[in-house]
Amino acid sequence: MPLYICNSAPGAIPSDAKAKIADDITSAHCDVTDAPARFVHTAFFENHQRFPLEGKSAFVVGTIRAGRTDEQKSIITDRIKRSILNHAGISMEDCDAYVAETPASWIMEGGEIMPEPGEEAAWLKAHAEKSTQ
Amino acid sequence: MISCVCVVQEGQTADLRRAAIQDAINSFCQNSFHQSAELIWHVVPRGNGFTGGGNPSTSSVVALTLEEGIDQIKRERLLKALSGLWCGWTDTSSDELVAVISDPR
Repeated sequence: MPLYICNSAPGAIPSDAKAKIADDITSAHCDVTDAPARFVHTAFFENHQRFPLEGKSAFVVGTIRAGRTDEQKSIITDRIKRSILNHAGISMEDCDAYVAETPASWIMEGGEIMPEPGEEAAWLKAHAEKSTQ
Repeated sequence: MISCVCVVQEGQTADLRRAAIQDAINSFCQNSFHQSAELIWHVVPRGNGFTGGGNPSTSSVVALTLEEGIDQIKRERLLKALSGLWCGWTDTSSDELVAVISDPR
């Protein structure tokens, strides 16, 4: 976690733009939250019924660990929409982005319960030590 | 009924062993919660999944949403079991799996 899912109209986001947008989403998330990049997952779909576009050309939903402020979430979604504008030419009005929260204690990654926001460094150190044992 | 959302990468083991993994998750839910699971399976098309920036992803997500809340001790035990089940069926490491067990919202 986080997991960012981007659904778009068919062909709206060129294939060669997706890695760039994923990179931008990762940077936005990490810049705002100080989370390590290795935690950030991004997936792209086209016309996926589970993530309705509702008249837009692109829709991004991120599921992140709980504990971020509304301002942090707003900066993330704004940067996501700006990245999609820059790399796919979809206007910010034609793109929707939303962030949902899940408690860290409900998530396991790397075989360990995820750290609370701000406790990533200790988690990574402990995980690295465990991995080398 | 328990909801189970799985996100897997096209062509990777989790995608190729879908039927067996779904059976295993259903058995896990029956044994752990005495309930069956509604499985929602999302396959990320090849070249459309990324981890840690623009790097191709080998990661999967398995996310259960329960009908009743559970305590954290039970959650951690079940998350470990679910991760073990998944990694066993897919021959992947736990570093390539995000497992979630959520209480109802």
